[in-house]
Amino acid sequence: MIFLNINNLNVSIEGKKILDDFNLTINQGEVHAIMGPNGSGKSTLANVLAGNEDYEINSGKIIFKDLNLLDLNIEERAQKGVFLAFQYPVEIPGVNITPFLQSSINSKLKNAKKPELDNLSFAKLLRKKAEELGINTDMLKRSINTGFSGGEKKRYEILQMSVLNPEFAIFDETDSGLDVDALRIVTEGINKFKNEKNSFLIITHYQKLLDYIRPDHVHIMRNGKIVKSGDISLAGEIEESGYQNI
Amino acid sequence: MTLEDNFNFHSKEYIFSNDNFLSKERENIFNKIKLKDFDKKNNESLKNISFSDLSLFNYCYHSTDEDPNIILQDKYIYKINIVNGVCKNYEDENIEIRNVTNLDSKKFADQNGNNIDDLVIDFNKIFLNSGIFINVKKNSKLKLDLLHTTYKNYTIFQNNIFTFQDNCEVELQDEFNLSNNTINNINYNIQVNNKSVVKHNVFQNFSNSNKLYLTTNTVCEKDSSFSQNTYNFANGFVRNFHYVELNGEFANATLNGCFFLKDKNLCSNKTHIVHNSENCESNQTYKGILNDYAKANYFSNTFVSKNAQKTEGYQLSKGILLTDHCSFFSKPELRIFADDVKCSHGSTIGPVDESALYYLRSRGINKNEAMKMLIASFIEDDLKNLNENIANKINQNLSDYLSSLR
Repeated sequence: MIFLNINNLNVSIEGKKILDDFNLTINQGEVHAIMGPNGSGKSTLANVLAGNEDYEINSGKIIFKDLNLLDLNIEERAQKGVFLAFQYPVEIPGVNITPFLQSSINSKLKNAKKPELDNLSFAKLLRKKAEELGINTDMLKRSINTGFSGGEKKRYEILQMSVLNPEFAIFDETDSGLDVDALRIVTEGINKFKNEKNSFLIITHYQKLLDYIRPDHVHIMRNGKIVKSGDISLAGEIEESGYQNI
Repeated sequence: MTLEDNFNFHSKEYIFSNDNFLSKERENIFNKIKLKDFDKKNNESLKNISFSDLSLFNYCYHSTDEDPNIILQDKYIYKINIVNGVCKNYEDENIEIRNVTNLDSKKFADQNGNNIDDLVIDFNKIFLNSGIFINVKKNSKLKLDLLHTTYKNYTIFQNNIFTFQDNCEVELQDEFNLSNNTINNINYNIQVNNKSVVKHNVFQNFSNSNKLYLTTNTVCEKDSSFSQNTYNFANGFVRNFHYVELNGEFANATLNGCFFLKDKNLCSNKTHIVHNSENCESNQTYKGILNDYAKANYFSNTFVSKNAQKTEGYQLSKGILLTDHCSFFSKPELRIFADDVKCSHGSTIGPVDESALYYLRSRGINKNEAMKMLIASFIEDDLKNLNENIANKINQNLSDYLSSLR
């Protein structure tokens, strides 16, 4: 079974081509990193995989566990196991974290035809996951991302991933706006969650994040397509001499 | 029935019809309306309602045969039933409640207020058929639950005078239990004396054959506080026009409102706060959710007079439009004649925040549920300041409103 295969994907927004015959295959349990200069299409790729409806899919296929992902809407993709950790998590005042996450996990369970979690079982699960990640449980009484620092927002994304247990997680420039300590805490969270059943696509500008996560494959993206692939040493090359020679 | 027919056929039935001065005033107002001698272009009282909607009705009013009761709970909660504008006369050590009689004409003749060019108030004066006095005595702490019941086809033109004497602490609640095809033109004159605190919660939910024109005119004296929260879930037309004058130093007023409209519902809102004294603070915040072909407007006004230094006056309106066909017109106004003030106004109207919707959906929540979460979050903060009973009632109505969304 193919885990994730992106085949000749062409995407545009307001008539401007962003992804140009993009191809990528990710196997189960693999961690892939995509690096690239600003405007190369990295965040577009993340959003297209998550189902953002602002983009126009001109042609191509995305196969995820034998499903054509392009046939599914945003929530259906999440229910099937796709998770996007946002570069800028949205503040939503008035929507409390706990009932929101309970609705999220229950929509996923319902889709899988499994019994939904009642309030008590969910509260136990959430508390356990928060404690594992060193997140203060007081945070769980607050509104989504409201008044959170940059670091707190990213840790809360990790908490959501940990609760929802996706098979495929995309991290869109998770390191942006994080200090060294916050970056370490976030990457520790990702490493804890990593196993042979789930796969990751990490989008970043910097080697630092990859030093902590140690991806299996590193790809360089430019003008909407992958122009070079390799292992972690490729990230080192970029750190040293930039994208100009790629 | 035309305005003229109503006026002539029922002229002996109105309250104070024996008073020469008020009868003359009635006639003057009637002639002004008949000749259409009023501002037709910029008249805020004609926003979202036409002159013919206001003036064409069948006047129908009789005093009730029922004896509306007052139930006293725990010595401080007064449940006051008002049937067709009439309640039971009552007095104890905290409160005096009585219906208006023809002997009260002088009090009504002395009333002035902010309602110039307000046709709804003009109609209230012409057809006035009921009114209630409530006097809350000094140092009283109590809760007044007013339930207004109107019989089918009745037209209520009511003018109430409520006085809260010094150092009172009162929670006043208005609810409307309207039958079918009723008109309820209700005007309050509220006096909040020194150091008194009044919280006024207004809850509106009734069927689309009814109309409610609710106007409050509140005067706040020194160190007093008046806060009003209006929740409109009605299918029928609702007009909420609320005025406050801050006459004493360190007085403060808050006028908040939320409306939830669908189908072809209409509502018209206005708040107007006048700062006449130093060191006063005011807040005006109205929020609305509109679906289908609903239409609403909100006029907010802050007037700071020359001697009202150290004033703080804030206005905010927010609207969520769920379709391309609904509309919300918001017009904030500040008129400032003092130089040491902090005032602001803001207005945001638009569809549901698409980025928030995307975020929620990306966690597996379907679009409809995500939309409901965002709408509910819109008033989440407002509910924190309400007592549990009214907050529960609003949550229930909000849940009904959300489940009706397609």
